[in-house]
Amino acid sequence: MVDQLDCALDLMRRMPPNDIEDNLANLIDLVPDLCEDLLSAVDQPLKIATDKEAHRDYLLCDYNRDGDSYRSPWTNKYDPPLGDGAVPSAKLRKLEVEANEVFDIYRDLYYEGGVSSVYTWDLDDDFAAVVLIKKTQDSTKKGQPMKGTWDSIHVVEVQNSGNSAHYKLTSTVMLGIETETKQAGRVALGGSLTRQTEQTSEVSEANPHISNIGRMIEEMENTLRQSLETIYFGKTKDIANDLRNAAGVSLQRQQQALARDIGSSLRSR
Amino acid sequence: MGDVTEEEMIQIANNFLLASPPGEFMEVVTDVRGLLPDDSLINDTAPITFREYNTVQMLQVYNGEVDVLVSKHGEVSDTEYLDPRSGQVFSFDHIRQEVTGSRPISGELDGQVEPYRSAIDQAFEKYAREFYANGTSAVYSSKKGSDFVVTMCISSSKFNPNNFWNGRWRSIWTATFKPNGQVSLNGTLRINVHYYEDGNVQLNTEAERSASVAGGDPQATAGNIVKG
Repeated sequence: MVDQLDCALDLMRRMPPNDIEDNLANLIDLVPDLCEDLLSAVDQPLKIATDKEAHRDYLLCDYNRDGDSYRSPWTNKYDPPLGDGAVPSAKLRKLEVEANEVFDIYRDLYYEGGVSSVYTWDLDDDFAAVVLIKKTQDSTKKGQPMKGTWDSIHVVEVQNSGNSAHYKLTSTVMLGIETETKQAGRVALGGSLTRQTEQTSEVSEANPHISNIGRMIEEMENTLRQSLETIYFGKTKDIANDLRNAAGVSLQRQQQALARDIGSSLRSR
Repeated sequence: MGDVTEEEMIQIANNFLLASPPGEFMEVVTDVRGLLPDDSLINDTAPITFREYNTVQMLQVYNGEVDVLVSKHGEVSDTEYLDPRSGQVFSFDHIRQEVTGSRPISGELDGQVEPYRSAIDQAFEKYAREFYANGTSAVYSSKKGSDFVVTMCISSSKFNPNNFWNGRWRSIWTATFKPNGQVSLNGTLRINVHYYEDGNVQLNTEAERSASVAGGDPQATAGNIVKG
């Protein structure tokens, strides 16, 4: 019996990333039974909502959703209101509030804009958290025809044991860029990269969970950003070049022959 | 969420199939089949969808001797495609994606445009071989009113599933002219690249170009078009 979830995930890996939302909606129409699984397994660009009480924006994802309502990290309340929506324990909520403030500063420093949100939930004796960051840019009005979106989704599982904790981080960055110029026509470059890492660190007054997690995420984002550059721009350029040589095959052959000649004359010295 | 009708399901399934990245069509077919409540649902529309995908993507297929193109511009019937260069019409099975036979051309090429088409074909093939190491080109002809129309297609694809990437470049150029008159050139270039190791990155580009070059006798016209 073919595993339908596997088929669905494989399909989403092949569809154009810039159409994720439409494709996911169509997929759910096709297999309504998989709805919950798909929503939690497929990364979608994050949506923004405004907390009218706190006058601040927050990000929507599966981890702060209960039914059709979403919980704001600033006021801990659900919108639309729910009498018994899931909330983190009091101790965890304290950590959540602090994490939101810390990552707000992180976001400002690294992104100079955008929206960030942190949500936590209890797991038996341990807990997990998701750190979300979203930034969009639309320069079409300024005469630079470029639209871009960056979405970071970092899910970290924490296992306490004595004075230390084991952290498991799964990070996904989704980047989408669209431009339209006379030179290059319509170019749409989009996609996502996922990476995982684990670490065990000491937990103390000087090294609370937040700084351990924060350091892991910072390192991860730097690595991802570098991979993005290499893969999005470097690798796709290489592949495009493979399809059509910029300089022509004969020129390339000449260059290769020259390289071989130089190589063999150097070796024969 | 309302119930989706069977018709809508078939539509959604076919849309997924048509959006497949180069070289991954069969994988998408398997996925879509696994997701449908009844995988025979798309069997009726399969020939149409497969044909649409193969011709729009301009599949390069091997006919036993060389690579030829399956494209709308060379479509003689649902399963037959023109290869002007070899003077053959080959039959193509869209579902198995294989050439199943061939016969000589009989009347599919317009006699008046032929000298131009064949000169352009020679020049164009040289150009294509130079710049598109994995590409295949084809040049077709037709008439629009009193204008001659020569359509040049290039399809170049590279599949590397072991390294998780695939790509395809498609160019379609149309030259419209009257014999010995000015040639109006219009082209559309499309690039799709898909890289999917630990993620899903896709580049989709579409660019249009136009130019106008001098006409003349078939040889001169051909030379000018390729330079343009």
